[in-house]
Amino acid sequence: MNELLVKNAYVIDPINRINGEVMDIAIRDGRIVEDVGPKATVIDAGGCLTLPGGVDSHTHVCGTKVNFGRYMSPEDMRAGRVARRGVKHATSGYSVPTTYANSYRYAVMGYTTLLEGAMAPLEARHTHEEFSATPLQDMMANTLFDGNWGIMNAIRDGDQERVTEIVGWTLSAVKGFGIKLTNPGGTEAWGFGKNITCIKDEVPNFGVTPIEIILAMIRACETLRLPHSVHLHCNNLGNPGNYACTVGTFNQVPDLNEKRQTLYATHVQFHSYGGSDWKTFCSKAEPVAYTVNNRPQIVIDMGQVMFGKTTTMTADGPMEFNLYRLHHDKWSNHDVELETGSGIIPVYYRRKNLVNSVMWAIGLELALLVKNPWQCMLTTDNPNGAPFVKYPEIIALLMSKKYRDAEFATVHPETGSRVVLPALDRELDWNEIAVMTRAGQAKALGITGIGKGHLGLGAEADIAIYPIRVGEVDPAQEYRKVIDAFSRTKYTIKRGRPVTRDGEVLVHGENTTIWVDPKMGPGHDISQDTEFVKMFDRYYSVRMSNYPVQDEYLKRSLRMETEAVF
Amino acid sequence: MRITLSMRERKNPYIPVEAEKIVPSILMKGTDVTVYEGNKERRLADLFEITVEGEAASVDEVEVVLRGDTSRVKRVGEYMDGGRITVEGDIGMHCGNFMAAGTIEVRGNAAGWFARELRGGTVICRGNAGHYCASGYRGEKKGMRGGKVEVFGDAGDFAAEHLSGGEVVIHGDCGDMAGVEMRGGTLTIHGDCARPCGNMTAGTCTVLGTVLGMIPTFERTGEIVGPDGGTLTAFVGDIANRGKGKLFIRNFQYLE
Repeated sequence: MNELLVKNAYVIDPINRINGEVMDIAIRDGRIVEDVGPKATVIDAGGCLTLPGGVDSHTHVCGTKVNFGRYMSPEDMRAGRVARRGVKHATSGYSVPTTYANSYRYAVMGYTTLLEGAMAPLEARHTHEEFSATPLQDMMANTLFDGNWGIMNAIRDGDQERVTEIVGWTLSAVKGFGIKLTNPGGTEAWGFGKNITCIKDEVPNFGVTPIEIILAMIRACETLRLPHSVHLHCNNLGNPGNYACTVGTFNQVPDLNEKRQTLYATHVQFHSYGGSDWKTFCSKAEPVAYTVNNRPQIVIDMGQVMFGKTTTMTADGPMEFNLYRLHHDKWSNHDVELETGSGIIPVYYRRKNLVNSVMWAIGLELALLVKNPWQCMLTTDNPNGAPFVKYPEIIALLMSKKYRDAEFATVHPETGSRVVLPALDRELDWNEIAVMTRAGQAKALGITGIGKGHLGLGAEADIAIYPIRVGEVDPAQEYRKVIDAFSRTKYTIKRGRPVTRDGEVLVHGENTTIWVDPKMGPGHDISQDTEFVKMFDRYYSVRMSNYPVQDEYLKRSLRMETEAVF
Repeated sequence: MRITLSMRERKNPYIPVEAEKIVPSILMKGTDVTVYEGNKERRLADLFEITVEGEAASVDEVEVVLRGDTSRVKRVGEYMDGGRITVEGDIGMHCGNFMAAGTIEVRGNAAGWFARELRGGTVICRGNAGHYCASGYRGEKKGMRGGKVEVFGDAGDFAAEHLSGGEVVIHGDCGDMAGVEMRGGTLTIHGDCARPCGNMTAGTCTVLGTVLGMIPTFERTGEIVGPDGGTLTAFVGDIANRGKGKLFIRNFQYLE
């Protein structure tokens, strides 16, 4: 029996409606319990801010495209080199670091659960292998369905049941967690040198439109009773004037689930641009936030851009090609047969660049204009907007108008005429930050039931203790202290075991991969369907029997079984 | 100051030695340093017989001499900032990485990645050099930025890839794709080569031998008199990438 007692913790736990109570937390065998025996190890939190372990609901840390980012950026791998020491592996890299570097840096910031934003089903093995080398966080993978031939054909034929069956079979075959749509239809069009500008365009050769794909996937997601909703990267990312497409998409989303949102729209900063070209480029965070405020079925994440060097990587191949034409730098493009694609480009966001300055402001505007913090998550779409190590700075920016003004004074002088940020006085409080960095994310992902994102009895004992006393610091004025505190926990506790202390990693760790296995009942097994098998044999370069990811790829696995209701 | 390192007999001479510490500025302060042989950390004196003669006030007065079978010794002269290294035999991969100043002379052959991403100084190879001589690393945008590399024998494939400054002279033949992605500097090949300078944007490449598989995306602009008095055909390109590099060739045969 492994017991731990955290004493004098100043707890903020939004899911259990605890907002700043000093209490003790008892832990037995990795779960939070009522009390523990006298022999339990004691950690004195000393009245410091104690939150549930951080949850990142959209990050790119594992998988083929992340790895490609590593090989095409030797200059990035020369940064952040740390030699092997104690339990730690040698690490290197800044925006696309090694898996261990990702894991250690996230753990030091108090994050214990991560969702890899995009996993191509055909290349799932690679993602799972990298998961097992990310030892201090529990991992999940959103599975890409944006250009799946089987699904697009079924949608064209109006066969919703078949769509659901393919999604269910694929998710359990590749051990994925949720449905990810990246520029639905667009990446498939890119396979033929074209793109899609908005939800009403037709995907070449398939005769379906993105909105049909989105709505069919939402219905499939709800039929399969998946814990997480459809996770959407809207069409037309990164183009001036694309907010209209984003709002148009949001307006079509029905409200189908009581427990959580029906659509999770990711990195909305990249989708809230106004203007008709780069010269008239401006912020349209207001109409987007207004739409979100009026639609409880939608949850967004910021996709905040922070200045500095980073690497952009996405399954949105055509968008990366447009970026390549802007930068004329290194570019990687990748096609995943019958499923999706991807692209990678290193970028440098500059304060002196007007477009980059406006992008920076839009992310913050979204977080401040969306009234309900449960509807807007704090992310950078790591590493697309910035590497995740910038989260503490974003937290400070959201908590302090003074810090925002100080930063605003350093960006491109014309930014003020294109954004509303200077007029926003809202300063988020500790509770709202806790929602945006863990509780809200856990709820949006539907993993509160397995004990993530809160500290109630029976919850997984993932705890982050930050070296800051809430009563003694005014975040609006002393934002430096906030940044320092969120950069390095006093303790990060994972499954009841302290994994970091004052920035030092203490254990090697062992992660759990969380995946979803929808049970569809007899008659709904698509792998027995002759048409589907025929398509698979004809077009895929792998055999169907070799397609599913075997159990050996998951060291510890947590299977969330769901019952589909057709 | 003259520091002589003679390779001792090794049980398995094929195991590579990671010797980034064999640099005049480090060895002048003392030879009690460690290097990796495979995954084992070794003292330099365990692998080499070391003799030190004389003293040096600055790094420029230091000469390091490597003797014996050094063909598996990698990263010699990495980040070198002065002095001289003489290799009497062959040298392993990555010799002279990122070197900024000083001289390296290899009397035998050099393995791959010779003088990779050189920033300054002079690097000479009397024998043949391997692939990626004077190039950038995989994924790097800028390769060699300054200094001079001279190879008296042949060079392998991708010689002077990503060249962006400095001078590269190859007296023998080059392999495939010499000078691809060039964006500055000068490359002179006295022998033959194949498919040179694809995607070049700037810089000058002169081939005094025959080019096989000449890339069609270079615009022929006339003739000039070459450094040896003979005529050379002048090209500008790579026009596929709006490049303005100069390419001068004695004889060529187009890619079929």
